[in-house]
Amino acid sequence: MVVDDQLIEHMMSPKNYGSMENSDVEGIGKNPDNGEKVAVYLKIGKDEDEPYIEDISFQAIGCTTTIVAGSMLTEEAKELNLNGAKNLVNATLNLLTKLPPEEAACSEMVALAIIAAVDTYEKRQNEADYPVITYNVTQSCMPKEEDQ
Amino acid sequence: MKKLMIKLHEAWLEMLMAGFMSNSANKETLIDFSDILFRHFTWIENEIVNKREDYNYNRTPVPIKVTNLHIILKDIIKRLEEIESMLGDDDLGFRIKSDITYFKNNLNSMEDEEVKAFDMQRELPDISLTKEATDALTLFLFEETYKEYELILIYNYLKAHSSDYYMNRIFQILIDESFFHLKRFGDLSAKMGILAVPRVVMKELYQVDDVIQFLKDGIDEEIIAKEECRNLSDAVSKDSSELAQFFDFINNQENYHISLMRDALKHYISQNK
Repeated sequence: MVVDDQLIEHMMSPKNYGSMENSDVEGIGKNPDNGEKVAVYLKIGKDEDEPYIEDISFQAIGCTTTIVAGSMLTEEAKELNLNGAKNLVNATLNLLTKLPPEEAACSEMVALAIIAAVDTYEKRQNEADYPVITYNVTQSCMPKEEDQ
Repeated sequence: MKKLMIKLHEAWLEMLMAGFMSNSANKETLIDFSDILFRHFTWIENEIVNKREDYNYNRTPVPIKVTNLHIILKDIIKRLEEIESMLGDDDLGFRIKSDITYFKNNLNSMEDEEVKAFDMQRELPDISLTKEATDALTLFLFEETYKEYELILIYNYLKAHSSDYYMNRIFQILIDESFFHLKRFGDLSAKMGILAVPRVVMKELYQVDDVIQFLKDGIDEEIIAKEECRNLSDAVSKDSSELAQFFDFINNQENYHISLMRDALKHYISQNK
């Protein structure tokens, strides 16, 4: 991880960290290997009937990398419409394929929590009680043991 | 009562952070006051537990980025006055009010200081670290400062909900140990110019359903923390034997934590067969 002033700012004061009391929907990204998880909360606004992310926050059980990724990605997702948020998540997941799995897992968890929240919101347009969606990471931040 | 507990939690953290920022005789006083505010927080928590009410440790962010100590002291006084207005006339309310009156008098008479705890210079007095060692120390301090705060809250919550004296003795030792680590890491963070309030802890972490699994995971985490300390000691040893010795000292303290947690696990299993 490159430690520069921008990264330190995110570590010292993570943007959008915390739960949201008046959120419309929540989504979870999880790493089943180590119990780490990210919860993303969305407040959805309407702009000419098109839903968009009016406010977003996140909480995490995870490492500093997860917090920095959450701070950066939630800041980018703010005020995007739902398609914009999906595009952001897809672009992030594509970028992560170029990183080693142990470095990619934390950011993947945040991206998946955002898309889980968006998907939960869309499901609830037809089924109000639809449960909060959880997506598990495909990468692992647990270093694999080398074959003997 | 729950709102009062949140306000005490926030005041405890702000007072502690002010203590880290100070480089004068104010430091010790501020840190002592923060310890007392933490105790107030736990006493109010006990009142809530006695009433069998649900609660969590959620709180609002505590902004601390200031250029002078007087700015944060004024903010702390405002918080203390808000707390004062929420207290009743029972023995506990009287005790906390009396402490707050004393705190406010002291805070009002403290000499001002320029605060360098947020300048991000990442330099330690009389120690010259390579870029690699500085980065390793930076990441370690962010990770472990949060971790120690998290552990204080987890053990405190478990202690508040347990009447098992053996477990509570172990939880109290672990709380005391985490306080020591939090204070040392917070102090180093302030010297490095990267002081930050630990983030809010998710309630799933302290509202533990499975104590056995929690203790097993905790032992694994302590082993990882030992490894982190050892790696950091290696990273800084070429530049500073003093820092390397400090991280070896912390590393060795983790051995006893692991032993205590194994004891707690054995005892809990024997009591809950």
